[in-house]
Amino acid sequence: MPRILLVEDNEMNRDMLSRRLVRKGFEVALAVDGHEGVAMAAAGGFDLILMDMSLPEIDGWEATRLVREAEAGAGTHVPIIALTAHAMSGDREKAMAAGCDDYDTKPVELDRLLGKIQALLVSPA
Amino acid sequence: MSGLFTPEAVAELRHELRTPLNLIIGYGEMLLEDATDDERRSALERTLSAGRDLLGLINAAVPPSRGEITAPEFEALRASLREPHARILAATSELLTEEHADGDAEFDRDVRRVRSAAERLMTVELPQGGGASRLAFTVEHPTLEHTSEHGAAPVANILVVDDQEDNRAVLDRRLRRQGHTVECASGGHAALARLRAAPFDLVLLDVLMPDLDGLAVLERLKADPATRDIPVIMISALDDVASVVRCIERGAEDHLPKPFDPVLLRARIGACLEKKRLRDVELEYLREVERVIQAAKAVEAGTYASGDLAEVSHRGDELGRLARVFDAMADHVRAREARLKDQVEALRREIATVTAAAQPDGPREAPTLPSGAVLADRYEIHEEIGSGGMGMVYRALDRQLNEQVAIKTLRAETLADPGVLERFKSEIRLARHISSKHVVRTHDIGEHRGVYYLTMEYVEGITVRSLLDTRGKLGVAPTLAIASQLAQSLAAAHEQGVIHRDIKPQNLLLDATGVLKVMDFGVARLQGHQTHLTEVGTLVGTPSYMAPEQLLSENFDERADLFSMGVVLFECLTGRLPFEGTTIVSIIAHLMRDEAPAPSSLNRDVPADVSALVLRLLSKDPGARPASAAEVVRLLSGLG
Repeated sequence: MPRILLVEDNEMNRDMLSRRLVRKGFEVALAVDGHEGVAMAAAGGFDLILMDMSLPEIDGWEATRLVREAEAGAGTHVPIIALTAHAMSGDREKAMAAGCDDYDTKPVELDRLLGKIQALLVSPA
Repeated sequence: MSGLFTPEAVAELRHELRTPLNLIIGYGEMLLEDATDDERRSALERTLSAGRDLLGLINAAVPPSRGEITAPEFEALRASLREPHARILAATSELLTEEHADGDAEFDRDVRRVRSAAERLMTVELPQGGGASRLAFTVEHPTLEHTSEHGAAPVANILVVDDQEDNRAVLDRRLRRQGHTVECASGGHAALARLRAAPFDLVLLDVLMPDLDGLAVLERLKADPATRDIPVIMISALDDVASVVRCIERGAEDHLPKPFDPVLLRARIGACLEKKRLRDVELEYLREVERVIQAAKAVEAGTYASGDLAEVSHRGDELGRLARVFDAMADHVRAREARLKDQVEALRREIATVTAAAQPDGPREAPTLPSGAVLADRYEIHEEIGSGGMGMVYRALDRQLNEQVAIKTLRAETLADPGVLERFKSEIRLARHISSKHVVRTHDIGEHRGVYYLTMEYVEGITVRSLLDTRGKLGVAPTLAIASQLAQSLAAAHEQGVIHRDIKPQNLLLDATGVLKVMDFGVARLQGHQTHLTEVGTLVGTPSYMAPEQLLSENFDERADLFSMGVVLFECLTGRLPFEGTTIVSIIAHLMRDEAPAPSSLNRDVPADVSALVLRLLSKDPGARPASAAEVVRLLSGLG
């Protein structure tokens, strides 16, 4: 059963998306901000990270960079999908530049997101 | 105000709009996956359909490629969102009101989340200010969440009354973001209980509620004096004119239709609170004015306690200053009254010791009017009570008014000149206008068989002359009692333009309680004509009390009375005149030439400030004397 780390500060978003993923057969761990996300990612054991970009303290881009820095030492790579409600052109490039493997917008279209998750789980970037 | 908003602001705006949509669609889809019965599925499908319409509208208005939006564009977007938003509210209402025997708490909770997300969507605002302020906006207010707070709207304690939890939650969040403190009540009875328990600045009141509806709550609020002044804004989905009229007629400040426009809500609340603030300020001001008025009445009644105005005197404005000045003044007046009372009491004791031995003033002459004579069919002469430079004084009965009067006859020769008589009459008329309890009232002037006479108030008492003749000199306190009453008398006369011209101990009457009354206002005019130095041969009596300028010319003013007062006080304190002589000429020479000795040098009991004031009154130059009798009143109030 794939384990997903969901980093999301909005309680209802966390509740909604995690429940929907659990229904689809994933095991979901939750982090409420960037610091917690980075710490949990470093502890390991996840197959994929869903990272909201609008986080308090350190935002999703910064958190992604920190996760990638930590991995560079350990030689690992967990795929990260950036989530954003901004939906601005250029967001995708920005997310990729920060070290994300893919990008999706809110409101989440679950089927589309699941497709991206499956793609990354099958063939890690 | 069609300012452009920056790409950062637009990104945040998009985030603000899409986040609730994410919840509407996410929860909606999840609920639909679980839903088995058709009614639920139908309502959820309508919810999702409305949610996707919302997304379409938002994407069309702010597509990912756009970095800008104008305020009118945003307003148009917001207006377009209302219809799908209303569909979500309607569909989710069905989901919440349908009967579920199984008590599906999680289902209800998720539906409510959809509803509250939809409400939140409608509260999204553009940052305040346009392009000009966008730099400050992007630096200091990086998210929309925070930008909606700024602006200097008044902050208040608001009660939100709505039976719908979502509505309460939305308003609660919205208002808190604007800096208000918010309490919520879920029904009419709960609202009334809250309002009785704590003060609120504003009530937002839903009209349709199951237990006690908004209109009933409004009526009760407005009927109770304790809550009458709290403004109420009614909130209702009933947007028809009749409904609005009903609310306003029952005393609501305003009415807002649901779903409410957040900008409108904010503006109306701001206006409401400002109106209330102004009314509160006005009411408080009127209350404090009333306190000052009450305090003034209390001072008059002698029941004022200093500090009664403490609540008002902390104010920083004119009223506060007035209260502080008033407080200090009231203290001062009380202290002065207490002093004056002591002084008059001392004077009264002096009077009591001499009244038994008192003799009529001046040399005896043969009475012009025999006892029992009746003047003008009205005044019945009882006895002769004195004589002065101008004639005799009698006690008489006014038969018309059945009261005692004093009658003073005037020597025929003084009125020989008809011009003098006319001037005298007009002076007497003027003197009658003086309103002071320290003036012997002059009633009338008449003629009886060639004898002119004045009728006056009869005062049973003695003159200061008698007092001095018997006691030699008076103490400081009795002298100050005479001084302050004499000064008040002169102030009242001078205010009417009347100069006494002949202030001397013979003209100062004291009754048994120590009240001083000055006689012969206006009378000295008759003498004055004859008494200046150029006609010294016809001087009547002594010039000892006259001001130098009065002796030299007709051109003098009311300050001459102040000089005379100084002589009287000098005599009271020292038992002698400031300018002594054995002949009139030597007295006048001293008076014109020499400085008076300090009373304190002749009587060690006289305090320096009292002595100094007497010397100021005795200044040769009128300009060196206190400027007026009123000024002397003021100076005396600071002594003793």
